[in-house]
Formats: sequence, structure tokens, C-alpha cells
Amino acid sequence: MLYIERLKVAVGDSLILDGVDLEIGEGEVHVLLGPNGAGKTTLLMAIMGIPGYRIVGGRIFFQGKDITDLDVEERARLGIGMAFQKMPTISGITLRSLGRIILEKRGITDSLEEIAERVNCSYLLDRDVGKGFSGGEMKRAELLQLLLQRPLFSMVDEPESGVDLDSIALVGRALRELFERDQVRTKKRSGLIITHTGYILEYLNADRGHVLMDGRIVCSGNPRDLFADIREKGYGECARCER
Amino acid sequence: MKVQEEYLKDLRERAEKALTKKAPLGPDIDLSQFYLCSPREQVEDLREIEERLKEAALYAGVELEGEKAATYLQVDRSAVYEKVQKAFEGKLEIMSSREALARYPELIEYWWGLVPVDADKYTAFAELCPTEGYFIRVFPNVKIDVPLQACLLVSETARVQSVHNIVILEEGAEVNLITGCASVRGTESGVHIGVSEFYIGDNARLTFTMVHNWGESFHVRPRTVARLGKGAFFSSTYVLLKPLASIQAFPQVILEGEGAQATFQNIVFAKGDSYIDLGSMLLLKNRGCRGSSISRVCAMDKAQVFARGKLVAFHDDVQAHLECKGILFSNTAQITSIPELEVYGAPKARLSHEAAVGPFEEEAVNYLRARGLKREEALSLLTQGFLNLDLPGLPQALRRYIEEIIRVTSRDVL
Repeated sequence: MLYIERLKVAVGDSLILDGVDLEIGEGEVHVLLGPNGAGKTTLLMAIMGIPGYRIVGGRIFFQGKDITDLDVEERARLGIGMAFQKMPTISGITLRSLGRIILEKRGITDSLEEIAERVNCSYLLDRDVGKGFSGGEMKRAELLQLLLQRPLFSMVDEPESGVDLDSIALVGRALRELFERDQVRTKKRSGLIITHTGYILEYLNADRGHVLMDGRIVCSGNPRDLFADIREKGYGECARCER
Repeated sequence: MKVQEEYLKDLRERAEKALTKKAPLGPDIDLSQFYLCSPREQVEDLREIEERLKEAALYAGVELEGEKAATYLQVDRSAVYEKVQKAFEGKLEIMSSREALARYPELIEYWWGLVPVDADKYTAFAELCPTEGYFIRVFPNVKIDVPLQACLLVSETARVQSVHNIVILEEGAEVNLITGCASVRGTESGVHIGVSEFYIGDNARLTFTMVHNWGESFHVRPRTVARLGKGAFFSSTYVLLKPLASIQAFPQVILEGEGAQATFQNIVFAKGDSYIDLGSMLLLKNRGCRGSSISRVCAMDKAQVFARGKLVAFHDDVQAHLECKGILFSNTAQITSIPELEVYGAPKARLSHEAAVGPFEEEAVNYLRARGLKREEALSLLTQGFLNLDLPGLPQALRRYIEEIIRVTSRDVL
């Protein structure tokens, strides 16, 4: 579904990603690990096509199509979506109006309220997007928008950060729904999730994990094994490990 | 009677002396270049009103066929339709101000009681060459949920419409007044002078909304003063979304009674060659007075906007805030924000202001694009959000109407 080849991305004058190779197949969900400043968010932003994350080398393919030079909205229309780590404040536009616009874009009439209820966002619907939202509320509002958008490929930036332990289960359920992990026959949606804590793996059986360090993927494998190693030995060992 | 005649004579003399007195703000208009509006016949039934007039009223926020508590419609020089719904008879009055002055001699106490007749050439002109205006009185403790509406239209070209409006809310009265002012075809040149005096009694509440929809060759000079009694509340929302030649207005609210509250909201989308000089002044005179003045301005093309705000405190226990936010959509448009805070003998008064002029955050634009919106759609949505002030007390129907105008305007612009 997604294939990235020797991707180099610069932000301003700094080269953040220096030759990332990554392949995520149909129906697969991968997790991305790495220390702070490794370039994890940059990779997601570059895949989404957010301006300011300049691709200076390599290519990105989505469903066999080269999307390296496509605008962000064109990528969204092809089926790429993203839950941002932090949402901006949009004064005067409620989460409900934005939700309706997202549904209109898909030309469908899913029940916004019902989905909002499932991610505990009903009480946020009539508030301005992002205005005064707590960390947990932002995460849930981001997931709500992805559930409305139903992308073929979803990227989620740290779904568990700022979320209390009770809400992690809710976030986990929302991710299962997003990736249709409970529907064995139609397992087609894919994704890439950044996680620091690994809690989310309790709810979502990810297919593969990658460790990003210094702008490159230095290790890939079973996500639970990777987490266990990192917990035990830290990221420093990842740099030395030759697995 | 003699006192009244003498008072009117004195007013005329003062007005005559001020007839060439330029206003301190805004471009000067040579009123001799315009004729007075023509008189029109009064109608008894709304069905007799021409469709084009109804449509012009609608675009200024006034639904002539809707269920309103009372309606005043003036076209050019004459009040053509005045009606109080049966259910509200005896609770309020609505008529032309000249008719009211003839019917109630005691009204003379309110006539130029707040706005000085010799403030400038426009107020002077309104006294010497009057073309009606509305008088509304709501009786004590009458609370009306259904809005009242007043509409002032100009259908001729190269004319001056100079109206004098008086609104009196007796103690404890509550009302929602929507006024729409417009030129009928939008191509007329002309001048609209609107003198408005609002007397808001103790514990009375007036929610006032004014929508302007003039043509590109129209000059507008509103002159408004409101006086608030103890515990009174005044909310004024002004909406201007279409280009015009010039408007200059600096309405003043005198918060005289203890605990009086006033809020101003200006929503302006400045286009074409519009010259827009708008503001509001709050005079906080008594214990517990509170006020706010908020403006949201989008300017494009070669529009020039001055967004003013002035807060004046005369008592320690007062609090008020000014806020002006502007967004420029072109290199040739201009927004000048001018906040003024003044305190007289009240060192504990709390006055504040906040002003910002700049573009939308790219982060928000890109966020919406990641949801599949084109850049133009994202900017249009952000513009709608920016101009959509939270308008307390505004009727749902009107709120929806203003939101719709903003939605269509921002879509057209981008």
C-alpha cells in the first residue's frame, strides 16, 4: 500500500530524514519507535505532504502511484489520513461543522453523533475545533476525524500521549475500528502509528515495528520484541545492534 | 407648547450654524451634490410592497413576511409600512419619529437628548432636512422574545436619506431589534445619515443588530448614542459585508446606572474601494459597569479600514475590554487599529485591549487540507470562523442568516 524509497526530508536548512526505506502492505499496521528528535513526526508529515517538510531526495508511492509531488489535499483524497499530535485552534468552526464537512467530502451520511459517542467526543461537538481542548480531548477529536474520513492508510502520532489510563482503552478500540482489525475478511486498511510507551500494543496487534534514529530506520521486526529490547537496553543499544 | 417651539427653534439655529461643520473623522461629503429622497405612499398590507423592496430588505436581514413582533419599513423619504402584531398591541409602539413627536409632545425631551444636533454637518442636516426615521417604545416590564424589525431603504439615485430614530425601553423591558439598511438596486449613489438615540431604562435589555447592504457609490454616516440605566444591558452587533463608498461611525454608549453592561461586535468584510471607519466608545460611569467592544475585520482589494475603540472609566469598580482582529487578503488593502483607554479619577478601573492584524496560521490551513479540503476551501472556512463571533442574544434565524452571508461572501472572495 505504501512504499518509501530512500526518502530525504529537510525542515528549513536541517536535513531530518536521511534515506528512509519503508514498505507497509495492504491491511498491515506498523508502529514507529525512536528517541525524541529522531524524525518520527517528520516522516508522518512528509508522507501526508504537509508544506514545510521538504522532500529533497527519494520517492513515496501509494497504491503504486508516485505521490512525491502531490499536494496534501490530493493525498488526502487518495486515501491518506493523519491524526496530528497537536491540533490547531480554529475559532468560530465547531468540531461538528468540521465533521460534517469531512463526511460531505466522502459523499456519505454516516451518523456523526454516533461515531462521536464511541470516542467520547459528543460533548466536544459544539466547541470550536481545538479551543481549550485537553491533551486527551485532542487525541479523541483527532481519532473522531479519522473515523469520519476513513482513510485507506492512517497515520497516528502518539495516540496515547496525554491520555489517562482509562482512556487508552477507548483510544485502542477506536484504532481497532479505524483499521478494521475486528473484521477479518475486509482487512485492507493500513497504518503507521508513532508510540513512545507501547501501551497501544495491548489493544492493537501491530504487524511490524521500526526504530527510527538519526533520520534512518535502523531496525525493524516484531513490535513487541523491539519494545522489550528497548525497555531493557534503551535506544543506544539499537544503534549498536546488528539485528 | 411654547417651550417645545422654543426648543425646536433653538435646535434649528444650532443646526444651521453647524451645516458646514466637517466631521473630525472620515472623508467629507458635499451634501449639496445630492437631492432629498422623494415621498412614497403608505401601504396597509405587506402584499402591496414591491418584490424588489422585499428582496432588498431581506439582504439587509429584515424578513418582511416573517412573524415579527413589529415592523417599520421606510422607503426613501416615507414610512410606507408600520405594524405591531396583534399579540403585542399595548406592549410596544412603532411609528415614524416625526409622527411620534406630533403625537407625544413630551417626546421633545428625548429629541436630540443624547446626540448633539450640532455635532457635525450630518447631524445638522438630519434636523434641517429630515426624512423620517423610526420611533420605538417598549412599555415597562414587557419582555418580547420575537424580534422587532426596522428597515430603511433607498431606491433612488443621488439622494440623501437623513433619518432620526428614537428607541425607548422603559424600566425592565426586553427586546430584540433588527435593523437593516440598504439601497434597493445596489447601484444607486447617495448618502444615508442615521441619527439614533437609545434610552435604555433601569434593568432593561436591548439586543440590537444592524446589517448594512449599500451600493459601491454610497456614503453612510450613522450618529448613535445610547444611555443605560441601572442594571441595563445593551448589545450591539453591526454587520457590513458588501462594498460601499464610505462609512464613518463612532457610536457612544453612556453606562450611567450602576451595574450597566454593554457589548459591541463589529463584523466587517471590506471589499472594493470601501473606506470604512468604525468604532465604539464606552463611557463607564458607575459601580459595576462592564463593557466589551470586539471587532473582526477582513480587508481585500483596495479597502481601507480604521477599527477604533475607546473605553473611558470614571469609576474604580468598572471593567471593560477592547479587541480588534484583522486579516488582510491583498497587498493594497489596509487595516488600522486604534484603541484608546482613558481613566478619570478611577485608579482601580480595569481596562484592557488586544489587537492583531495578520494572516491565518498556515498550520490551520494545512490541517484542514489534510482533511481533504482544497486550499481555497480551507481559507474560506477559516474566514467564516474568524468572522463568526459568538453573538449572545441573537435570534437563531438571524444568526443563521449572518452565517450564511459570511459563508457565501468568503466563498465568493476566495
